[in-house]
Amino acid sequence: MGPVELLHMSVFSQTFSPCGRFLAAGNNYGEIAVFSLSAALSPDATGMSQKPILTFAAHEGPVFSLISTDTHLLSAGNGEISAWSWAELTKRSTKALWTRRPNYKTSLEIPEINAMIVNSKDNSLIVGGGDNNIHIMDMETGTFKSVLQGHKDYIHCLSFREREGELLSGGEDGAVRIWGELIAHQCLQKSLLVSVTYLGECTRPQFGKWIGCLTTDSDWMLCGGGPALSLWHLRSMSPTSVFSLAGCQREAVFYQDLILTVGEGPYVSHCVPGGTVKAQIPSSSPSLNTLTLNLNSNEHRVMTTAGSSDQIDVFTNFSYRAFSLSF
Amino acid sequence: MSTDPLKKRKTKVIRGDGGTPETKRIRGDADQDVRVYNEEVELEGRDTEQDYILYKSTCEAVAKLMAEIQDLKASGAKEGSMEVEERRRRGSVHFIALKKLNRMAHMRLKKARDQTHEAKQRVDVLHLQLQNLLYEVLHLQKEIGKCLEFRSQHEEIELVSVDEFFQEAPAEISRPHLTKEDPHQLTLARLDWELEQRKRLAEQYKSSLCTKEKILKGIEMKKEYLNSLQPGLQAIMQASLPVQEYLSMPFERVQKQAEVARHLPPPLYVLLVQASAYGQACGKRMCVCVYVYVSDTNLSVSISGDVDEAKALSRPPEDSQDDESDSDAEEEQQNTMPALFIWTLNVSLVHAVKRSPPSCDVDGSILHLFFYYLMNLNILTVKVKVSASADLSGAISAGELLNPESLLNCLYASDHGQETPNPANRYQFDKVGIVSFADYVAELGHPYVWVQSLGGLHFSSDSPQVEGPHSSLSASHMESTMKLLRGRLQARLALHKQFSSLEHSIVPVSNECQHLFPAKVVSRLAHWTMMSYEEFVELSFVQHVMKAGLVRNTDLFFMATVERGTARLQAAVVLNPRYPEITPLFSLSLLWKGERSGRTDDNLRAMESEVNVFRSELQGPRPGLQLLTNQMQRLCVCLDVYLETESQVCDGSEGPREFPREKMCLRTARGPNRLKPFKYNHPQGFFSHR
Repeated sequence: MGPVELLHMSVFSQTFSPCGRFLAAGNNYGEIAVFSLSAALSPDATGMSQKPILTFAAHEGPVFSLISTDTHLLSAGNGEISAWSWAELTKRSTKALWTRRPNYKTSLEIPEINAMIVNSKDNSLIVGGGDNNIHIMDMETGTFKSVLQGHKDYIHCLSFREREGELLSGGEDGAVRIWGELIAHQCLQKSLLVSVTYLGECTRPQFGKWIGCLTTDSDWMLCGGGPALSLWHLRSMSPTSVFSLAGCQREAVFYQDLILTVGEGPYVSHCVPGGTVKAQIPSSSPSLNTLTLNLNSNEHRVMTTAGSSDQIDVFTNFSYRAFSLSF
Repeated sequence: MSTDPLKKRKTKVIRGDGGTPETKRIRGDADQDVRVYNEEVELEGRDTEQDYILYKSTCEAVAKLMAEIQDLKASGAKEGSMEVEERRRRGSVHFIALKKLNRMAHMRLKKARDQTHEAKQRVDVLHLQLQNLLYEVLHLQKEIGKCLEFRSQHEEIELVSVDEFFQEAPAEISRPHLTKEDPHQLTLARLDWELEQRKRLAEQYKSSLCTKEKILKGIEMKKEYLNSLQPGLQAIMQASLPVQEYLSMPFERVQKQAEVARHLPPPLYVLLVQASAYGQACGKRMCVCVYVYVSDTNLSVSISGDVDEAKALSRPPEDSQDDESDSDAEEEQQNTMPALFIWTLNVSLVHAVKRSPPSCDVDGSILHLFFYYLMNLNILTVKVKVSASADLSGAISAGELLNPESLLNCLYASDHGQETPNPANRYQFDKVGIVSFADYVAELGHPYVWVQSLGGLHFSSDSPQVEGPHSSLSASHMESTMKLLRGRLQARLALHKQFSSLEHSIVPVSNECQHLFPAKVVSRLAHWTMMSYEEFVELSFVQHVMKAGLVRNTDLFFMATVERGTARLQAAVVLNPRYPEITPLFSLSLLWKGERSGRTDDNLRAMESEVNVFRSELQGPRPGLQLLTNQMQRLCVCLDVYLETESQVCDGSEGPREFPREKMCLRTARGPNRLKPFKYNHPQGFFSHR
């Protein structure tokens, strides 16, 4: 990676290892880098500990999504999903355990995979991507059980309502679809279209209608992207507050009683569910794509953000940026 | 007392002198009773003790008498009374006795003294004899010592050892029966033998001296003979010159050049040797002509690797270069640096292009390199001049490209040629008060590190020691440096041509690279101008490149403006002097319904990435000289795609689109940041995502 390539690098996805000591990040060149968080956070950390312990080429296309199960790291590349063992990765062995492809209809251009979620109830992997469909794969057998169709344009983000067992998906067409129970039974029971464009407060036509980020904690849903980031009450299907943030948001999470969100603009926004933006913490990249919290580990409870640069910012105290890891 | 006071009136007393009582006859007094009276004799008979007692008693008596007289006189006796007179008489008698005693004492004393004196004399005589004898003894001892120490000359002669002597000497000299017992005889025999041998050797010496003289004389004669041949040879050489010219084997010139070259300082000599060797080796593709100028004599000799090419392509450069070196020589006299003696060596790279690929347009251009050796500073510097075969006055923005000051900048990475590479020069500069060498670079040439390497001078940065010039260092660098120089000249001339085309708003795309772009490109290049480093730094959208450390003040900066309709895209280009090894870097800023840059808009960033990162696609056929123009063309194509796929309208209304969709795209957005399809797929002609 020469300096020019580093200049044009974007990091799209990150995830923490199940033990919470390692961070994996994927970039637009198809590489995955594994960082040792415990080394970077230790008191005698040097410049070298902010570099990855392992960098390898995982896919041909950009790695848009990474998730961690109890033992595996799953990465999504150009239309394929690869699994890597965390234990092997920490020993610097880069052999994929398996690589699977959902069944795509189009053959001219390979659709990307933008979002992946693991449904722990029936041990299945749900992926959504460029072919406008949601594919569900059984983790044990590795076969793709079902396809959920309905979106008119490609899918940006997925979220899972634990309590009800429902899946939410947001796409480029501006719709948030809720896929109901019995999705495990391979048939679509209920899909509720939440069409955000009708609701004037959120819409921002100059940005478009695409839904970039989606997250839920069973009663509430956050969605944003082209429209402004807004908090919805799911039972009544109505927005309760709209956050006035300048750019388009790409990722949002609930944390304790705060909402943390990143998107265009070099900052992390802390918002209160009431609708006010409490703080905007500056970060090193001009715009941010991904934000993750290390909830697996108690002593390394950090937040990391990354976006359109080769730097991954680490926030030990969520109010300021402590240091940056770099590819 | 033997003397009787009564006797003194009548008898004549004859006193004897000397030690022995003698009898003296008195004349005419035969009847008298001559009493011989010798007091000395008498002296021996008397006893000193008794005399002393007598003296004491006499003194007492006198004292007593005086006292009596005193008493009498005191008691009133008159003058001349009998008692007084008697006592006076008795006193006188005592007085006489005292006188005698006194005389005795004196005589005794004298006698004793005489005796002592005599004894002393005897002792002195003996003492003297002793001294004499001792002295003589000492003298004799010294003489004996001298005799014993005497080294006769014969002992200084190195003689052969005894065994050898007995072995070698003939019997009549060695006489073993005699010499074995008697060391004296042995030594004599050995000396004899020595003498004989030396005589014999002296004879031999004389005879060999004679032969040596004879031989020397013979040599002299032969030398003279050879010298007499020299003029004849010269005449033959002169006569053969036309033959050499006819046959194109310029031995004469080579020899002359070699002679002049012998006087060159070592680094220039190494450079000359390596350059001419390389010139001969590289043959048709590149021609190296080497001229040597000595500052004061203007002697110019040339050798060339390929005479046909040099003659066919190079105009006679002697005149212009004569002036060059003349003016250089004059300049040197006026400078304020401590006396630098300058040697000039000129190496010309002629681009002989017969078989090179047809896209390489440089044909017959000459790159002149003038190498100078600064003796006091012990560094080599270089000045450059380009004489191109084509007309170079077309492009305004290309003014910097062939600027002789910066043409050879950064031939190797970070070799700026502004500071002297010899650390020892720092001390010399401090003495004279010169702060930096950069001020004198214009006069004296650039001291690039590769120039030092070509001359075999190696300066390590740790120690100020400078080793002598190594020709192995020069040889290993010569080929790579010549290749780099050729590449640099080629690249700059190509860029020159491209710039003149760019300034006329035409992006020249060669036939081999047409497949990279679609047939119809609507965006067009409106302006192409040059910028200075200060202007570049002021731009707001290039700060990320500066922060990444990819920009230096030795780079060249340009501003390209691409327009389509109301949209205006500004691209700031950083061109490294080592183009095309280093890809030019583009930074974009779009003015269309507001200002966006690569920092704020992910799609513009993707366009930058498309143009900057994919060098392997864009560089075209082998020398890679199409890189910049291909990048420009790709930029125009990407702007087309960007504008045509832009769907957002600012005011919310769906009015007529300014840029109708003409490019074929499967999807207009992909991925979390919804990038546009910038990648062109060739035969099918559609755009896709990377």
